[in-house]
Amino acid sequence: MNPADRSPVQPALPEPGRSARARPAAPAGLTGRDAGRLLFVAEMHGVQLDLLAVLMRTSGTSTRTIVSRWQQQRLADTARLSPGAPWVWLTRSGLTACGRPYRAIPPALSRLAHLRAVTAARLALERQPGWRSGGAWWRSERRLSARLGARGGRRDHLPDGEIHWPDDSPAGLAWAGECWAVEAELTRKTAARTTAIMRELLTRTGDYGVPAAEVLVPGLRPRHDRVLYLCSPAARPTVQRARAALAGADAARVEIRLLPESARLSPGDGQ
Amino acid sequence: MIRRYLAWRFAGWLLPAAWRLTKALVLAAVALAAAPATLVAAVAVTLAWRRGWPPTRLARAAAACAPMLAVWLAATAVAAGTLAALPAAPYRAWLDMWHAAAAGRPLLAAAVIAPLAIPAGLAAGALAWSRRIRAMESGSSGLSPASAVAFDRRQWRHQVATARARIAAPGSVPLIKGYGSVVAGAVIRTVNHRVGPVASLPYQRMRSHQVVIGATGTGKTTLLLRLWAGFMAAAQQRYAAGQGPRPLLVVLDCKGGADARRIADRARRVLREAGARSTAVWPDEARLSLWDLPPGPLTTTLLDLIEHGTGAAAYYTDVMEALVALAVEAPPGPPRSAQELRDRLDAGWLSLAYAGVGQPADLALIRSSARLLPDIALRYRALFRRLGAGLEGPGGFGDADAWYCILEGTSEPAVAEGQARALTDLLAFFATSGPDREILLAVDEFSAVARRLPIWGLYERARSLGLAVQVSAQSWPGLAGTEDERNRIAAAADGGLWLLRTPYPEPVTALAGQRKLTDTSRRLRRSRVWSEEGQGRTALAPVADPALIRSLDTGQVAYIYRGGVTYIQVKRLIGSPPALPPATAPAPPAAELHPATSAPADPPTASSDGTARSPITPPAWATRAAGPVWPLPSVRAAPSSPAWPPAPEQAPAQADHRPPGLTAFLDAAFGPEPAARPASQHAVTDAPTRADGARETEDSR
Repeated sequence: MNPADRSPVQPALPEPGRSARARPAAPAGLTGRDAGRLLFVAEMHGVQLDLLAVLMRTSGTSTRTIVSRWQQQRLADTARLSPGAPWVWLTRSGLTACGRPYRAIPPALSRLAHLRAVTAARLALERQPGWRSGGAWWRSERRLSARLGARGGRRDHLPDGEIHWPDDSPAGLAWAGECWAVEAELTRKTAARTTAIMRELLTRTGDYGVPAAEVLVPGLRPRHDRVLYLCSPAARPTVQRARAALAGADAARVEIRLLPESARLSPGDGQ
Repeated sequence: MIRRYLAWRFAGWLLPAAWRLTKALVLAAVALAAAPATLVAAVAVTLAWRRGWPPTRLARAAAACAPMLAVWLAATAVAAGTLAALPAAPYRAWLDMWHAAAAGRPLLAAAVIAPLAIPAGLAAGALAWSRRIRAMESGSSGLSPASAVAFDRRQWRHQVATARARIAAPGSVPLIKGYGSVVAGAVIRTVNHRVGPVASLPYQRMRSHQVVIGATGTGKTTLLLRLWAGFMAAAQQRYAAGQGPRPLLVVLDCKGGADARRIADRARRVLREAGARSTAVWPDEARLSLWDLPPGPLTTTLLDLIEHGTGAAAYYTDVMEALVALAVEAPPGPPRSAQELRDRLDAGWLSLAYAGVGQPADLALIRSSARLLPDIALRYRALFRRLGAGLEGPGGFGDADAWYCILEGTSEPAVAEGQARALTDLLAFFATSGPDREILLAVDEFSAVARRLPIWGLYERARSLGLAVQVSAQSWPGLAGTEDERNRIAAAADGGLWLLRTPYPEPVTALAGQRKLTDTSRRLRRSRVWSEEGQGRTALAPVADPALIRSLDTGQVAYIYRGGVTYIQVKRLIGSPPALPPATAPAPPAAELHPATSAPADPPTASSDGTARSPITPPAWATRAAGPVWPLPSVRAAPSSPAWPPAPEQAPAQADHRPPGLTAFLDAAFGPEPAARPASQHAVTDAPTRADGARETEDSR
């Protein structure tokens, strides 16, 4: 089993504090690989076929075949929402099969570029040998948002994803046990706004969805040991200026990289 | 004859007028001669009028100038080389002032006379302002009979504006001040109480019973939060200094509902900032164990939880009491859960339990009452189903610094009454047999449980338990079921009564008593001006004005204590999540601050009596409630540096803070960190486009 197939399954661990509910039985005809792929799509909200092909490590034709099967089983839906490859998202049945309490709606047009960027970033990370050996797993923005929504408000800034590195990984990674926040930055905000977001991410101590009193507790370790900013060339100077505005120690916890080339939402992708 | 009469009438008008004119001229001359002092006095009186200050404040300001006066006199004596110059010094300064002013040097003139004019002017202003207030209070001044009322209303407005400005100023109203006094807010006005800018209560008064009455929306919760936080902060301070045991705040919110949850969250935040290391919210997040009570109190509590009838039902009550006592005090020991109690309320179980070890009378009772046991078991089954799992444990009041207990008194009053009864019994037992704690029991919306919770009984024995009780209600009738009980509760409130806006304050204001006041009546002339004739008499007026209390604004409260009243503008506590400590000051280890990481570390290692204090292990809920809910790894390497938070002087050389291999990992995934705009622009487009070709913006996310 290749890493791309296995890693998306790992976030399916039950949330602590919640009763372990019986998951609905998987529809007939689904393989173990399908489960992981469906979970990936559910967490990312919508994935373009070319990126899905990267995840599946299959050709475009095979990917279309698999997605067609999902469609026949009413697990997924597809549409050409943007230039490039069609988008795939899960229907209500698909989300129920995955045990995810999200709304079954197509990705909004205004979020397509962002979703693609985050998906590409996730895939780029998951391709690395250290990802699998470190046992890392991705906690998506959609999942964080679902937790926050249960608290009745969205006052917190949500990262575009969290990466959890278990502390008992056999790989012996130096950053084992850390939790990273991932931000995909496509467009330029003001440096002040970016600095404020960085500071919020770096100082937060509580999980998303906890009472406000537990968001920042003095003395507790920050929730995010590191913030990984993946930005477009246009946004890079602003992000770098924002990091420079932080205190030295905080700035050292912000990593800035360029988004991979596959993050581009443009005509011809995957064609 | 007529001419003589007219002359006499004219003389009768002329002489007093001439006398008044002469007096005015003399006063004007004196004021002019002492122009600097007059100016200071005028400014002082104007300020006092505008800001609603009492005369005492001006007098204190004058007294505060005494050192300046003393220094000036000493300097004068040193300059003259003899003490004999001192008596004439004021006159010489006065002359010098005028000479300087005549020479066109006003600053020099002011500097010369300031040491003398400022204290004298302030003292004169205090005297004048005091006379003015007394005259208006007694009705002997003012242009019309309504002047006194208008003056009072105006002064109230000024005093309120000043108090509001004070609480708005950052840092002007701390939570506690010297010697642990709890500051409630800014003083608006006092009657028979000490005058001061802020209203502070000695800590010992917080250890006495108090009553809070205020309608919905008057700021009662804000006041209560402030009092609770003040108690917690002052008690923690005393505990840290080894002057007292640890505090324990227990709040019974008898209203319940979503509003209670919001207040609980707010209370947790303000109490955390006040020093409470853990606040348990019952029954949502924490539990208490009713079954920790010893058999005797447990039996009493279990019986009290069930409503009893009178008359013929009293027989049934007696039988039930005897059977419950048998079930609780059975040889295997007291029950440890509701299920176990229900199991014991069975003739077979009781017969087996007491077989061979029980008295014959017990066995006879079991046999004769066997047919009633299923009914009793059924009643307890229904009772514990309604009470929920909150009393099933595990947990005790000693597990946290503060307990916020939410009782659904609005939706389920019968349940709330039972819960309140059980909680107070548990607390009373904890106070008598648990570790030494300074306990404040606050019962909010007491009317919801007043029927079954004999709080006045707890009031009267609370002293010996080391327990202070604070009862709050929306109105006087809501304080208890009968007038007798209400009076008993209010009369036992030796820590004072807090009265917010309420439509019926008379019973409480009557407790403040009356004060003597000079009431003056004067005769009006035909020309609608006062004549010189009038009468004065001593009259009694209420210390706390009910009309004023009815018109209090939100956030204003009258604090009645020992025959006096202080009107206070309460300073709201903002329980926002505190910012992380600045990086320049290394934070203490998390284990010292929060039970989420380890057992709390008590500041002093010995109590006031010298005995060692044992650490308290946090219960599971405390860890859950205080720490991150999502399970971050339990043992994690320091994120970037050995000390946390990292010191700012550490160089921002990021590579130094990165774990080895991290840069390589990220570089492999995304390429090296861009130091400048990369030459190739094909990594990703600068402006991602949407399907319709418009520019994508983050705002749309």
